[in-house]
Amino acid sequence: MTTIALQVNRRAVELPAEPRTSLADFVRDKLDLTGTHLGCEHGVCGACTVLLDGVPARSCITYAAACEGADVTTIEGLDEDEITTELRAAFTREHALQCGYCTPGMLVSARDLVLRLPVADERRIRVGLSGNLCRCTGYVGIVRAVQSVIEARRARNVAPQSDGGRTVLGPAGSGRAATARNEVRPARHAPAPASEGATPSSIPDFIPATMLDQRFTLPHPPAKVFAMFEDIAGIAACLPGVSLKSPPRPERVEGSIRVRLGPIAASFEGAARVERDSATLSGRIVGIGTDQRSHSATQGEIRYRLLPLEGGAATAVELSIGYTLTGMLAQVGRPGLVRDLAKRLVAEFAANLDRHMSGASSGQAAPAELSFRSIASDVLRARLAQIFRRAFGRGGAE
Amino acid sequence: MKPAPFAYERPRDLNAALSMLAASNGSAKIIAGGQSLGPMLNLRLVQPELIVDISGLAELKRAEVSGSELVLGALVTHADIEDGRTADVTRGAMRGVAANIAYRAVRNRGTIGGSLSHADPAADWISALAALGARVTLRSLAGARTLAIEAFIVGALESALRAGEIVEAVHVPARSASGHWGYAKSCRKTGEFAHALGAVLIDPAAASARVVIGAIDTAPIVVTDAAALFGGRITADYKQRFDAGAANALLAKAGIGDAAQRHIHVSVLKRAVQEASA
Repeated sequence: MTTIALQVNRRAVELPAEPRTSLADFVRDKLDLTGTHLGCEHGVCGACTVLLDGVPARSCITYAAACEGADVTTIEGLDEDEITTELRAAFTREHALQCGYCTPGMLVSARDLVLRLPVADERRIRVGLSGNLCRCTGYVGIVRAVQSVIEARRARNVAPQSDGGRTVLGPAGSGRAATARNEVRPARHAPAPASEGATPSSIPDFIPATMLDQRFTLPHPPAKVFAMFEDIAGIAACLPGVSLKSPPRPERVEGSIRVRLGPIAASFEGAARVERDSATLSGRIVGIGTDQRSHSATQGEIRYRLLPLEGGAATAVELSIGYTLTGMLAQVGRPGLVRDLAKRLVAEFAANLDRHMSGASSGQAAPAELSFRSIASDVLRARLAQIFRRAFGRGGAE
Repeated sequence: MKPAPFAYERPRDLNAALSMLAASNGSAKIIAGGQSLGPMLNLRLVQPELIVDISGLAELKRAEVSGSELVLGALVTHADIEDGRTADVTRGAMRGVAANIAYRAVRNRGTIGGSLSHADPAADWISALAALGARVTLRSLAGARTLAIEAFIVGALESALRAGEIVEAVHVPARSASGHWGYAKSCRKTGEFAHALGAVLIDPAAASARVVIGAIDTAPIVVTDAAALFGGRITADYKQRFDAGAANALLAKAGIGDAAQRHIHVSVLKRAVQEASA
């Protein structure tokens, strides 16, 4: 708990709150100002919009602790506000609300438009309200209401204020905290390592939700590459972020894989089985794992096929990667970003594999986290660039 | 939809922030406006042990013209640029980009330094600033270094920031009087992340062109000498000389395998070129 002191609706407030408390939860739960609504809680719907130091801000993704010393105005604080009073009358007249859930945020954003827009341009009003979702009205009444208030005010020669009255730089609500209150608090302890029971007993087949194809080449003959693929421990050492828990057997490989995508980090612990077909120089790895921290689970499958290149002197490794993700991490609705990550990982794997097969001392003595940064030596970077061009320069990578 | 618990520190100056970051051994995250990190925290995609809030640091809230370039502190917000609270050496280019980032409530808190640090391929500044030829200064306890934007963005959500390092400032060169600016993006819904993005800075008088194709799920394609996209040289009639086939080939080479996706990117780039020539 931290004590947070700020102004809410012109009243000084000083209350304890956890640092993770959003400004919206702070005003709703601690001050009973429940006019601020929470819809999506990740900055998309606009229902929680409040005025922070006089300008609109999302109170669901602004933490109360970050607003120390700030001036917060919720919908309750706009009762006497001149523009909002005019907007309320216009909303009633134009039937600009039905269920009313979006209305507090809508009024805060509408007030900002009335203040800033020089004329009642419909397009600019619609764009200006695009961050506030309304599922009842179809916006027609809302846009008319805002238009009518802007027109009335400009007709009365009330000038617009294009900057909304803000004169200082930096995030709204910031920079007003009293300085030097940095008591050092101990960081939270890392979560306990996963229990023994985290490893699944069986490794089922599954139908992947997402599939992506990757391809890379190695300057070694297919038979040699295929033989290398039999060495599970050796392959695991080349796979970025993978560490094995016990000596692997083809029917059961236990271990974990650490994955990082920007600030998102996960460590999936689980098991895999390895199948191979020497007649077609192909194989399959099927695995299942869970990340304790994010309560997410994944099933993954890598199918590979080796094709001779340059008259059998080199090998094209064709990979078909499929996975299904459930839990917290499945919320990443950006498959393209995962594809980019997979590309980088496969490039890293290919570089490690080539080095391993060429007999160079392994730079992967300790399993590195799956991070481009962790291998950022200039030499390797240049080499990766080369492999990128070779592997993905053919337009078939997606 | 509530974040996992975290400890929270508000350092009194940049050095204190860097010390906290260095001491955290990778378990801390910097927060400024929180418009990208906030959603990720709420979704529990990110669960840092410590949040270091730099949003109050006055030394990062600066905007000054130094020589022929504009230096913006990391905490300058999109709305600061949109409203003209910062000087503008790009003759309106940056104001135009800023005004179309997300929504006003987001622009009032979202910062230029935070946007760059987050390195989302679909975000505006990484592409716009690359086209403008901007550089970014990174600082850690060990000192500062300056990189071109195109060297700073490594991949999706991956920047060149090392552990213990933060974005301190952005250096934007002045746009010459003869430099034409064009910027276009395609969003499924106004204010949402772009699906395609084109940024061009073309100077027919100097026969030079910088072209950026962004929002491609990885680091943007930055062409610093884009004559090849205009039939080999940059002349006053560059709009007619724009070579869609060359742009398509560039995208294919970058690994965009889907022809429909490439078509969207090329069309948006073409719009940017048309805007520049208008």
